[in-house]
Amino acid sequence: MEGIEQWKTEAQQWLRQGIEYAHQIPPTQLYAAVAVLLFTTLLLLIIRLLKRTKSNTIVLSGLSGSGKTVLFYQLRDGSSHQGTVTSMEPNEGTFLLHSESAKKGKIKPVHVVDVPGHSRLRPKLDEFLPQAAGIVFVVDALEFLPNLSAVTEYLYDILTKASVVKRKLPVLICCNKTDKVTAHTKEFIRKQLEKEIEKLRVSRSGVSDADIANDYALGIPGEAFSFSQCINKVTVGEASGLTGDISQVEEFIRAHVK
Amino acid sequence: MLEQLLIFTRGGLILWTCKELGNALKGSPIDTLIRSCLLEERSGAASYNYDAPGASYTLKWTFHNDLGLVFVAVYQRILHLLYVDELLAMVKHEFSQIYDPKRVEYFDFDETFRQLRKEAEARAEELKKVKPVGKSVNDGRKLVNKKGSGFDGGNKKNNSEANEGGNDDDGKGRKLENGHSYGNHNAAVVQGNRGMGLANGKENASSNNEAFDVTKLQKLKNKGGKKTSDTSVVSKGSKVDPKKKVTKKNRVWDDTPKDAKLDFTDHVEENVNENIEVMAADQGESMMDKEEIVSSDSEDDEDEVVSKDSKPDAKKKGWFSSMFQSIAGKANLEKADLEPALKALKDRLMTKNVAEEIAEKLCESVAASLEGKKLASFTRVSSTVQAAMEEALVRILTPRRSIDILRDVHAAKEQRKPYVVVFVGVNGVGKSTNLAKVAYWLLQHKVSVMMAACDTFRSGAVEQLRTHARRLQIPIFEKGYEKDPAVVAKEAIQEATRNGSDVVLVDTAGRMQDNEPLMRALSKLIYLNNPDLVLFVGEALVGNDAVDQLSKFNQKLADLSTSPNPRLIDGILLTKFDTIDDKVGAALSMVYISGSPVMFVGCGQSYTDLKKLNVKAIVKTLLK
Repeated sequence: MEGIEQWKTEAQQWLRQGIEYAHQIPPTQLYAAVAVLLFTTLLLLIIRLLKRTKSNTIVLSGLSGSGKTVLFYQLRDGSSHQGTVTSMEPNEGTFLLHSESAKKGKIKPVHVVDVPGHSRLRPKLDEFLPQAAGIVFVVDALEFLPNLSAVTEYLYDILTKASVVKRKLPVLICCNKTDKVTAHTKEFIRKQLEKEIEKLRVSRSGVSDADIANDYALGIPGEAFSFSQCINKVTVGEASGLTGDISQVEEFIRAHVK
Repeated sequence: MLEQLLIFTRGGLILWTCKELGNALKGSPIDTLIRSCLLEERSGAASYNYDAPGASYTLKWTFHNDLGLVFVAVYQRILHLLYVDELLAMVKHEFSQIYDPKRVEYFDFDETFRQLRKEAEARAEELKKVKPVGKSVNDGRKLVNKKGSGFDGGNKKNNSEANEGGNDDDGKGRKLENGHSYGNHNAAVVQGNRGMGLANGKENASSNNEAFDVTKLQKLKNKGGKKTSDTSVVSKGSKVDPKKKVTKKNRVWDDTPKDAKLDFTDHVEENVNENIEVMAADQGESMMDKEEIVSSDSEDDEDEVVSKDSKPDAKKKGWFSSMFQSIAGKANLEKADLEPALKALKDRLMTKNVAEEIAEKLCESVAASLEGKKLASFTRVSSTVQAAMEEALVRILTPRRSIDILRDVHAAKEQRKPYVVVFVGVNGVGKSTNLAKVAYWLLQHKVSVMMAACDTFRSGAVEQLRTHARRLQIPIFEKGYEKDPAVVAKEAIQEATRNGSDVVLVDTAGRMQDNEPLMRALSKLIYLNNPDLVLFVGEALVGNDAVDQLSKFNQKLADLSTSPNPRLIDGILLTKFDTIDDKVGAALSMVYISGSPVMFVGCGQSYTDLKKLNVKAIVKTLLK
């Protein structure tokens, strides 16, 4: 008990000394110091607030083997170098799109994230969605029908995630590998996806209160599903990663990262 | 000769391939390696075998964890090149010196590689001259040689880490790049591995790697077919076959006429209206549809506990240096640093009922992925290891393919075919009980179900299913006892097509995994009926036997099937989950060894006690 008493008295002494010292400083200096402090904190807060509204992240997702890593390197360097293998980790980079490197002026660099498509690495997508400004969902137009159910499920999962619906993230369904002769057209792919998602929607919401695997429901019950019913904007585009024909993807990116 | 050597980043970009060895690889061995081996946490294995039409390769790899690079060498399986490991090590060393994250082209490395290869080949030539032709293994240089993999026939599908069992003798006391000799591999493990089939295990039939075995030559000749190369299995099978037809006869003690009827159920009950037993509909929602609330105890709480008992044998002297290192964060992780943490982690996993060899392999895989990595600042070795292990566990337990059964049922419905599910497993794990639970859950989702009683051996099995069917009010197809289960199943499916049931649940008799005739009968059932889903029912109480059960089941299904594409186990149903408190390791062992996901978890004995596997909860419990 005595120890505490001692410390109390000592603390009070220090407090008195501090107040005396403070009184000694001319008041203008004191006010100036406090004002500067307040000003800088306010400034930092405002900057943080402003920054948070504009994200510059684009997420490339899709099944394994659809061509995301090739697309990533096309966007960054304009070529896919010596080829790619199945990714085990996400590829991230903040850069100016290769086709725009010649343009002058203030262009904001884009933060592109290529998330692996392998099903075991699916959880990685959830790490990047909160900071995304847009999603490019890459679909293999060549091997479309054999993988149709897997593609549909993945797309359905993305379109019903809370972080996508609440923030109205725009989604570009990019049909890749269109340079090949037997690749399907984007209209065909769009129709097939809409049909499959409709089927999935019906089976998933069969017993609606018992099934809460997805955060939100898609579409309007009673009507056939179509992408125009989504709250967030969903568009379909074409690209060819290997040949470098990725103009639609770049337009999408530029449209959403200003 | 080496077919190809690749260097690529973990993100997937190929940085360098050897231009001289310009042969295009048949099939896609690298992608398959990544998907079936490295992402399945089997990167501790020594090599990987890949079969494509027209070629069979062996792949070896090494990681540079700090820079995030992977080095893979591919060569023909027939040739067993001695210098591959050493070459990979040297390539890794040289390349990491010229590596720059910004560069994507490394053409200047061609020259270096050519020299390295010449050196390695020269050294291998010398060694060949020194060693006798019989290829005895224990010599000073001890280049690991995958002759086990080379000779065991091209019939191996996918991974055969059984190879490492035979080659562990070589690897002791020598630094291996593929990181599989940590001093833990010892002769005991080798013996154990020889006994069990590992992974999607074809058993490593050749237990004598020392001398050149003429039988291996024979096996090479039989390489064409997909049948088993294990001659012992074949001979055993033929001997037991004639005995298969012995049926049970009722014991007669005196001269009274035999009572042929063994079915003593009360037939009166059947005709009474079903009101008595109808209560299934009111049992409430199946737990499958309830979202599990993961109790979020604060993460800090766990970490504290973890840190306290994670290093029981940490030396006091090492504390200060590890503290310093954790703050400075510059140290490269060495195997020696990882060992104590890994050992503690392995022990912890084993106390949670994970099979011993699974824990072993997991730890190796985690070590392979962490070796050489730089410690981030303010982290300790144990927390890095913990984080890596957690990630690995989540990766293993996350299903590789969709486990949405309802969707598949609807897809089959559109094709006007019933969706057939076969429940297999050893005796007494809960197949019939959980079959009823699955039926109940499906009924709640407005799917029409039919049961097929193909357990024609156990007394009371048909009555048991009949009672469940009566309570759930669903049709049951049964033919009594002592009939061929395959035929009963076939007829049940035909009946289902006729009366428009969406799903057929087939119950089979329990059988031990090394009972040859019974496994043959099961394989015949599956081959004849081609079910949509083969569900292996395993209990959560099982310990190390889980590994044996699953691998033998898979192996026998593959071996004894007469079709070129045998059906293997597609999913796991984990039962008796309510009896284990937090010893949830059986789930991990089963998923690791078979690669198939856990589709249901049975956690009680009433109809509603069926739920989905909560990956995060399991991982948390395992690492607590």
